[in-house]
Formats: sequence, structure tokens, C-alpha cells
Amino acid sequence: MKEKTYVEDIDRSIYDMKNDEKDAYKVKEGLTPEIVEQISKEKHDPTWMQLFRLQSLQIYNEMEVPDWGPSIEGLNMDQIVTYVRPNTHMSAKWSDVPKDIKDTFEKLGIPKAERKSLAGVGAQYDSELVYHNVRQEVAEQGVVYTDMESALTGPYEDMVKKHFMKLVTPRDHKFAALHGAVWSGGSFVYVPPGVSVTIPLQSYFRLNAPGAGQFEHTLIIVDEGAYLHFIEGCSAPKYNVANLHAGCVELYVGKNATLRYSTIENWSKNMYNLNTKRAKVEEGGTIQWVSGSFGSHVSYLYPMSVLNGVGAKSEFTGITFAGKGQNLDTGTKVVHNAPKTSSYVNTKSISKDGGISTFRSSVVVNNKAKETKSSVSCESLMLDDISRSDTIPAMDIRTKDADVGHEAKIGKISDDAVFYLMSRGISEDDARAMIVSGFADNVSKELPLEYAVEMNNLIHLEMKGSIG
Amino acid sequence: MKEEMNMKINQLPAKTFGWLHMNATDVSGVTAKQTIKIETQKPESVVCVLSDDKLQQVETGMGKDMDQLRENIKGTPTFFESQEGIKEADPVRLKFFYNDGVKDYHEVGFHVKKDSSLTIIMDYQSEKSKDGLAAVQTKIVAEENSKVCLVQIQRLGEGFQCMNDVGVVCEDGAEFDVIHLILGGKDTYLGCRTNLHGQKSSMNAQIGYQVLGNGKLDMNYVADHRGKRTISDIKASGILNDHGFKLFRGTIDFKKGASGAKGNEKEDVLLLDDHVVNQTIPLILCAEEDVEGNHGATIGKLDEEDLFYMQSRGLTEEEIYRMMAKARISAVCQKIPDEKTRDEILRNLEEGVLDEA
Repeated sequence: MKEKTYVEDIDRSIYDMKNDEKDAYKVKEGLTPEIVEQISKEKHDPTWMQLFRLQSLQIYNEMEVPDWGPSIEGLNMDQIVTYVRPNTHMSAKWSDVPKDIKDTFEKLGIPKAERKSLAGVGAQYDSELVYHNVRQEVAEQGVVYTDMESALTGPYEDMVKKHFMKLVTPRDHKFAALHGAVWSGGSFVYVPPGVSVTIPLQSYFRLNAPGAGQFEHTLIIVDEGAYLHFIEGCSAPKYNVANLHAGCVELYVGKNATLRYSTIENWSKNMYNLNTKRAKVEEGGTIQWVSGSFGSHVSYLYPMSVLNGVGAKSEFTGITFAGKGQNLDTGTKVVHNAPKTSSYVNTKSISKDGGISTFRSSVVVNNKAKETKSSVSCESLMLDDISRSDTIPAMDIRTKDADVGHEAKIGKISDDAVFYLMSRGISEDDARAMIVSGFADNVSKELPLEYAVEMNNLIHLEMKGSIG
Repeated sequence: MKEEMNMKINQLPAKTFGWLHMNATDVSGVTAKQTIKIETQKPESVVCVLSDDKLQQVETGMGKDMDQLRENIKGTPTFFESQEGIKEADPVRLKFFYNDGVKDYHEVGFHVKKDSSLTIIMDYQSEKSKDGLAAVQTKIVAEENSKVCLVQIQRLGEGFQCMNDVGVVCEDGAEFDVIHLILGGKDTYLGCRTNLHGQKSSMNAQIGYQVLGNGKLDMNYVADHRGKRTISDIKASGILNDHGFKLFRGTIDFKKGASGAKGNEKEDVLLLDDHVVNQTIPLILCAEEDVEGNHGATIGKLDEEDLFYMQSRGLTEEEIYRMMAKARISAVCQKIPDEKTRDEILRNLEEGVLDEA
């Protein structure tokens, strides 16, 4: 019998480094009004935010967990620490960051990337940012890139108050309510009208404490005619207890503005990643999502685009790699609310070694959205017969004047393609490795070169040499 | 059956976002009796049987609540059995004619024996502008190397509710073809589950529909690939006009062990009015590596190049849309293997059944 091709799991040694817990403060495990009030007090919240947190907690207690998607039975909120403040203050200099934390980010390549190819960096460690800086020339253009806490009490308080959890409300789902109650950290970005930020900003979220949750909030407002590329990275070491990530990303894309939001998610395999991302796009604006999901034990992740203005566009390019012990439920949602809007979705997923990958999407075209176009394409690759791959796309079209297309494919590595490559002198193992890594090209070609290389390294190098 | 029943039917094999309201359909206040007499024509080789254990165990597309409705009705099933090795040229014809206000439930079953073939034509009719309930549960066991073609035509009155539930089990090498034409009624619920249990068994579904006025069409097609090298092909094509609502659920489910299986699913919907609601959810569930699954959907208006081509031939946009709407239904009609039925439906189409579209 022919031997099975074996594709190695992603090497996680860089991401699995652990630091001793030297936090300055952390709340007790569990979720009670007292804990929420404590977080609020620690963070010196304005009164409206304190009330917002308590209301969100109430909503959280009223709502049920979703009855679809992967099981989250292993997540016990009574054992999750919702706030861990590292033993440092936020700084604009890496030299001020404690050595162990700085070393972690060095190994993850963040300061190097900042020097080389970023306009600004925010680095969050557990519940708070430890580093935040933006290049002077970018700041001089009027671009605001700061931590959420500073934004909440600084000159942008009104702007934050106007937008914070208005796009993703606590009533959206149970874990949006949880986020509203215990959120901490994250970034606030404002790009003024007409300003084009030519090099990306990046926020990196690192969760070090075992049994902890990370609930960062990212709020980005790209004003009329402006452009921004924002990169989000995240990782954590693996522990034997469940960790939780329930972040929230709210993106406001103004008239004729463009926002590219790229994520390389590489949480550890004890992580429950219940993240919510949403963009509202005005007339002529464009949201581009680039999403790579590699880590987590369980993921629920469906970045949503609400196309509210005439001619607004959404593009979603994603890849999900589910290995042993992973159940990654990912996809996207699009709502077409205005005429001449368009959406384009292109996703790939790979399942191996017992991993479960689910592509889940929804495209809603409302009655007002005349002359709308939507195209969804998803492809899944099964690398063995102990894994699972499901495709669950939904479409709800309420106007005759729409052009909606959908296609999906699922299968194994094509024997014909392997044969073709072998006929060109490539070994069978190399041919299979080449096909699997080439499968991820839709995402890697959308990333800045350095990140594409990192992602390809994650997949390609680990596959090559371990197949056969 | 005296008490009204609240039913949850057409459940998706894998749930999705609740706010889409596609996971299942609730139908409240269902009550029915076994009242009408089915007009039956059958070849001599096909015999009626009183009970059949294999048929009783077949799972259907609409789900367990339909079985519960059957229990509540306490009616007598109508079961047929073909003879082993006989490839019957004449179809079994079952005509269900419903009078105004009738609320009827019937259970029928076909046990198609090894190496035999059978065509089944089931025609649901009433007078136009009448209302009532036509509930029919059809179960089929297709034994080794048998061939079954099931044609179900729904041309009920404008006020009728139709619950058409189908369940099929295919053994090794069995071929199951189903043609569903939905041309009338107000609310139509349609479930069709095919268990491709046997190796190299196959199912081929052709669905043609039009939903007009305030009509509703709620479908749930499931192809369960359990045997090796099984094949499924589901093609749905239809038109929505006025305030028509349509929900198409189509699932290709590759179970572990179904190596070499192939599944295809395609939906093509033409929307003719700005008040229509078109919902589509085509699933591929996969627990086996060595399979090929594809699905595609095209929803909305006609392709601009096609439209331009036909306009350049002197047709108006309205004429083109009417022609294309008819073409979708008649393309499915053409697949009906029984000439008599095919001609009757095509004649109906020519006589303007679809002119309102």
C-alpha cells in the first residue's frame, strides 16, 4: 500500500517561549460585577465606561452561548483571569521595556520589523500595552496611533465615545458582551482626510499568563480619501489550561477611503479565540481583509463588512490551517446596504492530523443594494482521512438587480498535479510540498513581503522535508 | 388527528448563524387526516404490500417531525414492491387530487428490488385558487444495482400548503434520479434525503421551480455519502417573482469511509422582482480525504452579455426574461422520462402557466 504523505505541523518553538509571571496586578479568576468594577477602577475609566462595562456584564449573563460552531465546553469563565497588568508602564522606547518582555518581542521580530518596514508599532503584553510608538513623519501628517486607554481620556475622548462598541454592540453575541465588560488594551488609530499612510502600522498582542484572557479593543477611523494598512499579530505560549482571547475590532472606513487590515493569528493550541471584527464602509470606500489563521484550539472568527455607502467595496482573502487538536471555524460576513456595492471573497483552508476546519460565511444583499456584485470562492484541502473540513456558505438576496456568484471546492492533493510536476523532474515529496504551500499563495501575495516570507516559512519550510 | 402540531422541519445537517434563520423551519398548527384516494396506475409486475420494515426505517429530508405527524395521523401506508430483475418500462403513476379545504397526509413507499428498474410519477393537483394541505411522505429502498426515477410534480392551487418529504436508501450500485417540479401552491416545504449507503450508488436531483405572488418554497436536499465511490449531483434552477420567498438548503455530506466519492451541487436562480427573497445555503461536509466536492451558485439577473446578444436579435428585455424563465422550467421538464407526463407539463407551460412571470 502506498505510504501516506505526512505534512508536519507548524513549528511553534518561537511562539511557545514562556516568561515568568511578574505581573504587577491581576484580578481574581471568574467574572463578577466586583471584578468588572475592579478592572474599571484600575484603568481609571470615565464614568460612562464604568457603566458600560456593568451593562455589558448583565447582557453577558443574559445571553446564551452559540448553538452552532465548535464546542467551547472546555472554556470555564470561572477559571479565567480577565485582567493581568504587566509590571511596567507603556513606553515609546524599547529600552524602557523590561528585559524579559523586550526579549520576547525581539524574538517575535517586532522591533526589527518596526525599524525596517513599519510606520508605528503597538505591543501589548497580557492586558496592557508595554510599547507604543509612531514615526514622527506619520504623526506630523496628523495620524493618531495610540493605546485605547490614552484615547479614552485624551483629546479624542468624544471620538472614542461616539464609536466605541457602536458597530459591534454588546448585544451582538455573548462574547461581544464579555468584551464590553472586561476589555483592556488595544489601539486607537485616526487617519485624517486625504492622508495616505504609505507604510503599515502594526499592533502585536502577546498573552503570557496561563489561564488568562486577552480582551484588547482596536478602533480605527480612516477619514475621507485616506489610506491605511494595519497589521495585527498575535501569539501565546502553550499551557495546559485554557486561555481566552475575545478581542474586538471596529473599523470605520470613510468616503473614498481604503483600509487594509491584515492579521496573522498564531495563538497557542490551548487558546479559545472568540474574536469579533467588523468594518463599516462609506461611499466609494474599500475594506480589504487579509487573514491567516494558524493557531488556537478553537476559533470563531468572521470579519464582517457592512457596505453602507454607494460603491463601497469589500475584499476578503483568508487562509486557515487546522492541525492536531484544532477546531478552526473561520470565514466572513458581508452586508450590502447600498447600491453598486461589491464584495469579493477568496479563502483557502487546510486540514491535517485530525484538525477541523470550517469555512462559514454569509452574504446579505438588501433591497436597497441595486447593481450589487458579490463573488465568493472557497477551496479546502484535506491532507488525511482523520481530519475534517466543512463549508457552510449562506446567501440572502433581496433585490433582482444583483449579480451573486459562489463556488466551493473540496478535495485532496491532485494526483494529476503531482504527476505533472514529477514529469518535470521534481520528486514526489517536493511536488506535494509545493502544491500544499502554493495553496496559500492567495494570502501571501496580499501581505507585505516580510510578512509573506514569515507566513510562507510557517507553512512551506515546515512542510518541506517532512513529507513522504 | 385532532390536535394541531407545531413542527420543526428541514433542519440543516450543520447549523450556522442563527440570525440568518436558515437552520430549520417552524411550521405551526399542522393538522391532517388521510382523506383523499390516490388514483393509481401501475404495471402488473409492481405489487402492493401492507408493510415493509426496511421502508419504515428510511430517514427523510424534512426530519423526525414528519415521522411524528405520520404517527399522529395513524393512517395506512401505501407500499409498492418491484420484482427482482424486472426493468419496468411503464411507470407507476400516483395522482393526488385535492379538493378545496382538504388537509391530507399520505405515506407511500417503494421497495425496488435487486437489478430492477422503476419510474414513479407523483402528481399533486387541485383546482386553481383553492386551499388546503397536501402532505406526502415518500420512502424508497433501492436494492443492489436497481434504478429508480422519481418524478414529483406540484401544481396545486394558490392557497395550498404542500409538505413533500422524501427519503431514499441506495444499496450497492443503485441509481436514484429525482425530478422535482414546483409550479403551484402557496407554501411548499420540500425535503429529500438520500442515503448513499452502498458502494458506487448514485443520486441525481433535478429541481425546477417558480415562486410567484406571496408564495414560499423551503427546501432541504441532503446527499449522505457513506459508501465508497458514491456520486451525487444536485441541480436546482428556478425563478422568483412578486413577493416570492425561496430557501434552498443543499448538503453534500462525505462521511468517513466514503473514499472515491464525488458530489456536485449547482443552483441557478433568476430574480424577477425587487420584493423577492432568495436564500441559498449549499453545504459540503467532509470527513474523508479522498473525495471531490464542488458547489456553485449563480443568483440574480441575467448575464449582461447574454442579454445584449438577445437584444441584438430584436427581443425586448421583458421578452428575454420571460423566455429565460420558461427555459429554466422546461429544461427540467425535458428530463422527465415519461413522455405522457413530459408532454402534458410542457403543454401547460406553452399554455401560459408561467406567463405571469
